[in-house]
Amino acid sequence: MQRRRIALAQLAPRLGRLDENLAVHRDVLAHARADGADLVVFPELGLTGYQLQDLSAEVAMALDDPRLAALAAETTGCSAIVSFVEEAPDHRLFIAAALLEDGALRHVHRKIYLPTYGLFDERRFFAAGQVTRAIPSRLGVPLGLAVCEDFWHLTVPLLLALDGAQILVNVSSSPGRDVAAVNEVGLGTATSWRALLRTYAALTTSFVVFCNRVGVDESVTFWGGSEVIGPDGETIMQAPLHDEGVFMAEIDLADVRRERVTLPLLRDERPEMVRRQLERILRTRADEG
Amino acid sequence: MALFELPPELAIDTAVARRIMVGFIRGQLRQAGFERALLGLSGGIDSAVVAFLVAEAIGPERLLCALLPYRTSSEASLEDARSVVDRLGCASRVVDISSIVDGYFEGALGPDGAAASSLRRGNFMARARMAVLYDLSVVWGGLVVGTGNKTEVLIGYTTHFGDDACAFDPVGDLYKSQLRQVAVDLGIPERIITKPPSADLWPGQTDEAEVGFSYAELDRLLYWMVDRRRSAEELAERGFDPRFVERVARMVAGAEFKRQVPPIAKLGPRTSGVDYLYPRRRPAPGS
Repeated sequence: MQRRRIALAQLAPRLGRLDENLAVHRDVLAHARADGADLVVFPELGLTGYQLQDLSAEVAMALDDPRLAALAAETTGCSAIVSFVEEAPDHRLFIAAALLEDGALRHVHRKIYLPTYGLFDERRFFAAGQVTRAIPSRLGVPLGLAVCEDFWHLTVPLLLALDGAQILVNVSSSPGRDVAAVNEVGLGTATSWRALLRTYAALTTSFVVFCNRVGVDESVTFWGGSEVIGPDGETIMQAPLHDEGVFMAEIDLADVRRERVTLPLLRDERPEMVRRQLERILRTRADEG
Repeated sequence: MALFELPPELAIDTAVARRIMVGFIRGQLRQAGFERALLGLSGGIDSAVVAFLVAEAIGPERLLCALLPYRTSSEASLEDARSVVDRLGCASRVVDISSIVDGYFEGALGPDGAAASSLRRGNFMARARMAVLYDLSVVWGGLVVGTGNKTEVLIGYTTHFGDDACAFDPVGDLYKSQLRQVAVDLGIPERIITKPPSADLWPGQTDEAEVGFSYAELDRLLYWMVDRRRSAEELAERGFDPRFVERVARMVAGAEFKRQVPPIAKLGPRTSGVDYLYPRRRPAPGS
């Protein structure tokens, strides 16, 4: 059996209160480990809250911050993904998601796509990450990390899957909007996300793990609805909308093999062709100015 | 039979909307470090809905409803407000604002006060109510909750620094038609839902007569114009009368100032609202 237990911490972080949020993370980690979780996933900016504006620089942590080390120390025998504002040595600020394992910080993904439109203003306060890569993990298969808007760009899940990821993890602070009655589950944002997550799982024949926060920052309410989707696109676990809590899912890693043997979509990907077309498109766009 | 006219595109999932608004009320109070709230209860649908939502969010024992009649306010409004208080079992307090308003127009202002227009008097009443609410908020130890809906916020059918003054507004993104749906869902007395909306500034006044169109048509137009970004030409194709569209577009544009914090002249390196941007409830450093 290749079963793994995943705990999704659908929390409501307190805006700008790093110490309080750290304490909650430690508590959730301890309980999830006691419940046999192999992987504990926390939402985007779970350590700081989302609508930080000028607070971003005040709650930022360098990767060698002792508070991160202390949190990592609580991951003996398990993996955790936590998210915070990272201050780089050159003082750029990133929205970061870090993989902590067996007491150490293993990898940091910096959010690549920073929405700066509509109700979002991330580019004003943060620098954009440049790298997406699959990372080995103690779970036995590589993980692919992404933060919220990273999943509104098709290339991210594709690149992660091509790089070997078998579990794609997206951590989010997605603000709920559009309560029109025609929406499935009454919320437009939930409807769109659910379609994306299932599509990515099915097309990359990978597990997709989505952890979205709840609670309120300023005007916006984050809708939760965290979930785990199997490599066939079917729902394995779905957390309720808006309720705070830690939700457990169990996955069987053998499902990836079964699905990929049955439906060898990744085998048939054509990365060289994609590269040639991208190079042509880039040349054309450069010529056009 | 339906209690009101609901354009189909404005139909909302009231359970989800309610969940968001109730969580918003709790979140706002928590972030600000308050456990109590108060609001001005007029007897109309908007403040009734907010009172029900606040009671659901924090319990009726933490809500104070202030009934703030003027001497010409209708007795029926006061009765309707009382019915909400009775239903919720929350605290209430009646403060008659007549002596404040009359003391200004009939006294402090001198001889020309008596000639003041009903617009001036209406605005003054709204601001007197605001002053009373903010005074009572100190005694009650709670935040003032706003009751302005999206329709009136967009067309500017409000008194600036009067009925729009509040710590936060849970219903400001709901059109009147949508708010009526929520009212039905909350079980608000039918009489409050079906009576014609009124600012109750003079006997017989109704919003729809004063503005010149029904909430159903206005809400539908605003939805397509604002939320769905349709141009004047596209709105005409949809069957909206171009004169109606132009008039409403003017009202919306003319009310932009009421929806924003007043600008501060930029002089220093960091200026509030320009390049000094913090959450409204900023935690103290080190907390």
